[in-house]
Amino acid sequence: MKKKVISALLCATMVLGSVCSVFASESETEAATEAATEAAEEAGTEAAEETTGGSSAEGQKIALVGKSAGNAFFEVAAASFQETVEAEGGTVEVVYPETATADAQIRVLDNLISQDFDAICIAANDVNALQAKLQEAMDAGIKVSSFDSAPNADSRQVFVNQAGTEQVAQALMDAVYDIAGGEGQWAILSATSQAANQNAWIEAMQSIMESDDKYANLELVEVAYGDDEPQKSTDQTAALVEKYPDLKVICAPTTVGIAAAAKYLQDNGSTCKLTGLGLPSEMIEYTGADDAHSCPYFYLWDMQGLGALSAYTTIALVNGDITGASGETFTAGDLGEYTITDAADGGTEIILGDPLQFNPDNIEEMAELY
Amino acid sequence: MAGKSGRSINNVPESPIKKMIFSWEGILVILFILVNIFCAFFSEFYNLSSVLRQMPIYLAEVFLMLPMAYILVMGEIDISIGSIVCLAATMSCIVCNTGAPFIVVVLTGLLVGTACGAVNGLVLTKFQELPTMIVTLATQIIFRGIAEIVLGSGGSISASNTAGFTAIGGKVGSVPYILFLVVILAVIFAVVLGKTTFGRRVYAIGTNRKAAYYAGIHVQKIRMIIYTVMGTMSGLCALFLVSSSFGANTTTGNGFEMDAIAMAVFGGISSTGGKGNLAGGIIAAFIIVCLRVGLGQRNVHAQVILLIVGVLLVAAVALPNIIGEVKRAVVKK
Repeated sequence: MKKKVISALLCATMVLGSVCSVFASESETEAATEAATEAAEEAGTEAAEETTGGSSAEGQKIALVGKSAGNAFFEVAAASFQETVEAEGGTVEVVYPETATADAQIRVLDNLISQDFDAICIAANDVNALQAKLQEAMDAGIKVSSFDSAPNADSRQVFVNQAGTEQVAQALMDAVYDIAGGEGQWAILSATSQAANQNAWIEAMQSIMESDDKYANLELVEVAYGDDEPQKSTDQTAALVEKYPDLKVICAPTTVGIAAAAKYLQDNGSTCKLTGLGLPSEMIEYTGADDAHSCPYFYLWDMQGLGALSAYTTIALVNGDITGASGETFTAGDLGEYTITDAADGGTEIILGDPLQFNPDNIEEMAELY
Repeated sequence: MAGKSGRSINNVPESPIKKMIFSWEGILVILFILVNIFCAFFSEFYNLSSVLRQMPIYLAEVFLMLPMAYILVMGEIDISIGSIVCLAATMSCIVCNTGAPFIVVVLTGLLVGTACGAVNGLVLTKFQELPTMIVTLATQIIFRGIAEIVLGSGGSISASNTAGFTAIGGKVGSVPYILFLVVILAVIFAVVLGKTTFGRRVYAIGTNRKAAYYAGIHVQKIRMIIYTVMGTMSGLCALFLVSSSFGANTTTGNGFEMDAIAMAVFGGISSTGGKGNLAGGIIAAFIIVCLRVGLGQRNVHAQVILLIVGVLLVAAVALPNIIGEVKRAVVKK
C-alpha cells in the first residue's frame, strides 16, 4: 500500500516537473521573441551608433569566473572589468566557485551554460580540466576569453596576458641600469630554482644584458634563492650584501623576496638599492627616492588595466569584431589599439603591455587597492 | 518496513495513507515537489533539459551515498572515500595515458577503489576495537598522500586519450548514461538492504552488534564486504568524475564523503545505526541536486548555497523532534 502511494506521488512529481519545465520553456521562448522584436526595433538606432564608431556592449550579458572568492588582487581586476562593461552598456555577473578547484569551476560553468550569457571570461584553476566544459560553452555559442590564468589553447578563444616575459625582463633590466647608474655589480633574489615564471624572467634578463652593449658595464654576480619564505629571503639578502660589499642593486622579481629584502636593506641602512616585482601595500614604507628608503621604484602588473582590457576583449568577441585568431586587431576603448598574437601554449593572447611602475608618486594611492 | 523509517513521527497506528504522508519518505517527496516548484519560479532557466544537463557531476556523489547508507545503518562511518576517489581517478588517468584500451582504464579505477576499500575493511575487521572514524581518517590521509606523491605536490594529470571518457559521459537523447546507472544501482542497493537476509543482518548489526554476533551473524564478514563495495563505488564515482574534467588533481573528490553522508542523513538514515532506508536517501539526494542546480542558475553565491543546504539538513534532522514536542504540548493541554 505504502509503496503504491509512494510511486503515485513520485509519478505526480515527475508530471509536475515536466509541466513546470514546459511553462519555463514557454516563458523562455516568449522572452526570446520579445527580445528579438526589441532587437529589431533597436537595429536601426544601433546601426546609426555603429557608424559613429566604437562597438558598444549594449544588452550584452557577460559572466566573469574567478579562481576563488576573497582574492583582493583578482577583485581589483574584476571591479575594473565590471565598470568597463557597464560603461559600455552591458551587464556583468561575477561568480566565484565554492573552492579554488577545477571541479568547483566545472559546476559554475554548468550553471552559466544553462543561462543566456553572451560570453564567459575565466581565470582557470586548472589548465586542462575545464576543456570539456568550455568547449561545450563555445559550442552553445558563448564566447570564451580568459585572463590572469589561462586554460589550455583548445578551451579558449583568446587569453589576455598581464605582461609578457619580454616586457617584464626589459622593465626590470632598465630599472637595474637606472638605479645602478649604468655600471657595477648587481644580484637577483628569486623564489625557488624550479619556479617556471621566475626562471623565464631571469633568462630573458640575461639575454637582454648580453645582446645590448648598453648593459656591458653591469655585472650579475649571483642569483640567490629565498624560496618565497620571508626568513630565508632575508638571510639570502644579508649574505649577498656581506659577500659583495660593492653590490649596487638587488633585483627581486618575487613579492615575498622584495618585501623581505626591502626591510633588511632599509633597517641596516645599506647602500645597496632594490627593485623588482612587489605589492604596493607591502612596499609602501620602503619606497622613496632618498637614502632613507631602500627601494626607489618597483613594478607589478596593472590589474585595473588588465580588467579593463579583458572587458574590451570580451565585448569585441561578442560583437564579432575579433574571433581570437592571431593577427586580428581591435580598439580597446581608451586603452588604444591591440593586436592578437600567438601564445607559447599554441593558443592566442593579447599582451596588456609593460608592467606598471610603482614610485613615490603613486604608491599611496595604489597601496589601498592591492 | 513500518518501523524502519529513520525518523518516525508517530508510532500510533493510523490509516495507511496518513502514515505514508507523515512518514519521512512522504515528507521528502513533498519537499522534492516544493523544491522543484521553488526552483522553477526562482530561475527562468530551470527546466527538465537544463537539470538533466547539469546533473552528472552531482550524480557521481550518489554512487557514494548508496554504500554509505549501509555503513551508516551499521552505525559506522567511512570518511576516506573522497581520497579513494582521488587515488582511483589519478591511477585511471595514468593508465589511460599509457594508451591502454578503455576497458583496462575502467578496471583500474574500479580495482584501485576496491583495493582501498578492502584495506579499510581489513584494518577494521582485524582490529575490531578501533573506531571507524579514526581508522578511515588515517586512510583518508594515506590514500590522498599516495595520490599526491604520484602527482607531485599540488599537481594534476590530464587524460590524453579522452574518447572512452567522452563515451561514458554521453547521453541517450538528453538523459545522461550516469542517470540510468544511478537508478539501476539505487534499485539494487535498496532491494538488497530492504528485502534480503543480507540487508536484515546489516540492520541487526546496527541495532546491536553483540546480539547480532551471538545470533550467528558473521558480523566481520559483512563489514568486510560493505567496506570493499564502498571502495568499488568510489572507483566508479572517480571514473565519472574524470569523464567531466578529463583529468585528476590533488583536490579531486575533496569533501565528497561529507556530501554522501549529508544525502543519507537527510534521507532519514540514522548515523547511530539500525534505522532508515535507501528510498529516503535517494529522494534526499535528488532534492539536494535540484536545489543546488536551481540556486546555481541564478548565480547565488556558492557559500550561500552550501549554507542553505546546511540549514535544510539541520532542519530535516530536528524537524521530527520539534513536531513530537509540539504534539506532546498539545496533548498535555
